[in-house]
Amino acid sequence: MYKKYGHLWVQCENCYGLYYKQFFKSQMHICDLCGYHLKMSSSDRIELSIDPGTWDPMDEDMVSIDPIEFHSEEEPYRNRIDSYQRKTGLTEAVQTGIGQLKGIPVAIGVMDFQFMGGSMGSVVGEKMTRLIEYATNRSLPVIIVCASGGARMQEGSLSLMQMAKISSALYNYQSDKKLFYVSILTSPTTGGVTASFGMLGDIIIAEPKAYIAFAGKRVIEQTLNTIVPEGSQASEYLFDKGLFDPIVPRNLLKVVLGELFQLHGFLPLNPS
Amino acid sequence: MSSLLLSPAVKVDGESGSFLSGSYIHIRKNVLEAGLRRSPFYRTNGVWLKHLGQSATSRRMSVSARIKKGKKHEYPWPENIDPNSESGLQHLSHFKPLTEKPKPVTLAFEKPLIELERKILDVRKVANETGLDFTDQISRLESKYQQAVKDLYTQLTPIQRVQIARHPNRPTFLDHVLNITDKWVELHGDRAGYDDPAIVTGIGSIDGKSYMFIGHQKGRNTKENIKRNFGMPTPHGYRKALRMMRYADHHGFPIITFIDTPGAFADLKSEELGQGEAIAFNLREMFGLKVPIVTVVIGEGGSGGALAIGCANKLFMLENAVFYVASPEACAAILWKTAQAAPKAAEKLKITATELCKLKIADGIIPEPLGGAHADPTWTSQQIKFAVMKAMEELAELDKDSLLSQRHSKFRVLGGFTEGEPVEPEKKRNMKEEASISLVTGDIEMDIENLKKAAEESNGKSPTIKKLSKKDIIKKLSQDVEKEMANAFISMGLVEKLETLKMELSKSPDQIRNPVLKEKAERLAQEFKEKLYRPGSFMGLKQKLQMLSEVNKPKEQTEKEVKLKKEVNEKLQEKLKEIEVFRKAREQLGKGQLLDQDQIKEVEKAKDELKQMLKSLDLEVVGFGKKLPTAPPGLEVAIKKADEVVKKEIAKAVEKAGLRSKIEELKSEIANGSDEEKIEKLEEQIREEIAAVIDFDELKKEVQSTVELPAPQETVYAASTSN
Repeated sequence: MYKKYGHLWVQCENCYGLYYKQFFKSQMHICDLCGYHLKMSSSDRIELSIDPGTWDPMDEDMVSIDPIEFHSEEEPYRNRIDSYQRKTGLTEAVQTGIGQLKGIPVAIGVMDFQFMGGSMGSVVGEKMTRLIEYATNRSLPVIIVCASGGARMQEGSLSLMQMAKISSALYNYQSDKKLFYVSILTSPTTGGVTASFGMLGDIIIAEPKAYIAFAGKRVIEQTLNTIVPEGSQASEYLFDKGLFDPIVPRNLLKVVLGELFQLHGFLPLNPS
Repeated sequence: MSSLLLSPAVKVDGESGSFLSGSYIHIRKNVLEAGLRRSPFYRTNGVWLKHLGQSATSRRMSVSARIKKGKKHEYPWPENIDPNSESGLQHLSHFKPLTEKPKPVTLAFEKPLIELERKILDVRKVANETGLDFTDQISRLESKYQQAVKDLYTQLTPIQRVQIARHPNRPTFLDHVLNITDKWVELHGDRAGYDDPAIVTGIGSIDGKSYMFIGHQKGRNTKENIKRNFGMPTPHGYRKALRMMRYADHHGFPIITFIDTPGAFADLKSEELGQGEAIAFNLREMFGLKVPIVTVVIGEGGSGGALAIGCANKLFMLENAVFYVASPEACAAILWKTAQAAPKAAEKLKITATELCKLKIADGIIPEPLGGAHADPTWTSQQIKFAVMKAMEELAELDKDSLLSQRHSKFRVLGGFTEGEPVEPEKKRNMKEEASISLVTGDIEMDIENLKKAAEESNGKSPTIKKLSKKDIIKKLSQDVEKEMANAFISMGLVEKLETLKMELSKSPDQIRNPVLKEKAERLAQEFKEKLYRPGSFMGLKQKLQMLSEVNKPKEQTEKEVKLKKEVNEKLQEKLKEIEVFRKAREQLGKGQLLDQDQIKEVEKAKDELKQMLKSLDLEVVGFGKKLPTAPPGLEVAIKKADEVVKKEIAKAVEKAGLRSKIEELKSEIANGSDEEKIEKLEEQIREEIAAVIDFDELKKEVQSTVELPAPQETVYAASTSN
């Protein structure tokens, strides 16, 4: 609606309340009036979860080449990546690295919906796999925050194979070494990510009122020829069907994660 | 009336489709309990009300009446079976050959072939009726037909292949299995609520060996398709497949899977049951099965639903089979906003078997007969059997751990990306920057920082303190490196080998000369290096090793320099005359006088002699430096200016020749520490290209104009090739 002021103000999708972007960050992008959790960029989320001054990113310079040379009419895939990089200031749809959460060193990967809809391509797959391999070698717990629209079509079947790649690394991590992996599902999480690492966490945490699905709404409507009722793919409904562990609001997230780690026997580096 | 209640595909509000509640009596009870008699949405409302108006007893009577008239459970075995017969398994399968031959369906692009065939038939009919001799015409037409068939089916566009892969008469999973196996028994159910008809599992034997077969099953006609849900599995199906895979792992059967699905079933009930989770679980578990797995894509492979049983050691595809992440129609609808662009999407997505082989996703292509697999199903099945058996033979030789690692590495290498090239900061501005000294080397770097600060503060005694601190740092660093290496050995699992090697070394008296031990040590070092340089691992150790080598480099460098200087000085003693000449010329220049022609010639001769001498020492003249030992003050400034001009010219030339990338490459090679030949070759290339581009005369003129002096004398820079 307010397209002219889109860079200054953001509107809650639930109650249409307006918030000034600069101050919204301190509220963790949570609407005051209705409690709706809006989308958050990956850098903000890292700031929210990791203790300040301990972030160590990995593989920042990994960029996708055009593996199947996909040139659609409007713009070749390469230019599309370039324009998204310039627009959002991110090199790819995920940021991975090591940090400390309440003094406990963790390996964390955060996906970002702004970059091409969070689509999973070869770079996302490779970065995630390397993060999990690093954590396997150093016995660190892993947290992955998922926000994706699905697999990246412009990379063809290679993006499908990334699902298998990450699951294979997770097999080594979870079943062989028996380490701890938490996956956090934010709005929206659909498609390939739900069908691979999103749902493989030892503990799966969902945010309130997040859109979590495997097949998108339109696909289901086409298959069944009926309208999908409102809220049938929201996290509360799926929680009743037994798909997640807790639903945790964003302002409690860091504390809850710290306590979960302590329950599993991870101790902080320097007790303060 | 009864027929209405018999229909299994009842869509009752609030209840699911039929696949969870099979018996219609169950539906009826629930319907009564839910109080849907008042529901306006139920289509056969009127009939129900009429029934419900009657008394309870009559209702119960009608229920019992329906049980008798109800769905007769058809058993697959014949009426009279001989209990002593040889094989009983064949009587258990519900999958019988079709009673009516399937209608021949022609695809759009096959129309010209149909016309040709019809023409041939017409000519034959005319020949039979009239009795005239048309054989040569018939043979000509037939050869034309054969040629047309070959032309058409060897050059199929991707969208045509997709149409063939979805052909209604294409042989299905059970067709192939019954053709390949000697004995076959189908196993059912996920033991948790439902038996999904879309995924079929069972055990079959080929040539005496038993294998576990799992695959998607499509129907052969419309009725079967509805029963099989068009080959689209629900989470129950994937859990059934997982149960069977665990069973096969438990008993040691190799697994053969067949993929033929448009995708996983996308409806609300599947979402609630956790479709994504079922697929993810399958993906993860398949990488832990210690039996060989071979997958064949016999039709279409639709994204995650296909991959859930497709993480194999070897993946084969039939010639006309396709494997995609999103169907061409869906892709076209999303990217080009119209489903009519499906042929374009099919071509760009690279979904055919040949393209996937090129991308290393598929390991082999199984040929199909001309006209598609439905033209000759038995031949296709034999081809599949041949390919699968060959793959199984290869995989049977591997032991369990190598099976797992082969499967892991098959998928590990898939993906196209680049790294290492620095990205413009504009593109990184929103990424969270590094905020700290990395945890691993924090201790060493902190120490270095502290020492530096301490050295700065104590100004007077700084030289000695600095030297000591550097040595201390080096010692501490090497200790740390040793500790980390020990840890790395432990985590790599190479400790035992290391221990045995150490023991053997200590036992044998002449350790260094024993060739066997040397070999073992080399192999161990090789393994260690390989594992060390795998991406993403042992960051801390690598960093420390780098620092250690950097710190040691200047020491080595100075040692080498000292040795070289001694050698050069010795040789120079022999060439006293040339040195005299040089000295005189230098003196003159130092005074600001110009050299005259003779002197210049002598200098040149002396230079040549020196070059010869240096060659004898295996040294090479690498570059000339415009350097004067005692230059008058004005000259230094001028020389600086000349230097800058030259540098600018070189930069311009680099831009022109587009050498930036090469120089970056050189930088990265040096940073990686790769062998010197490469570095030298690169340096040579760069130098040559610069030389080609720069215009030397112009450069000289420019330099002269800025410097306003005749070209000063050049001294020879000798650099060692063994650097």
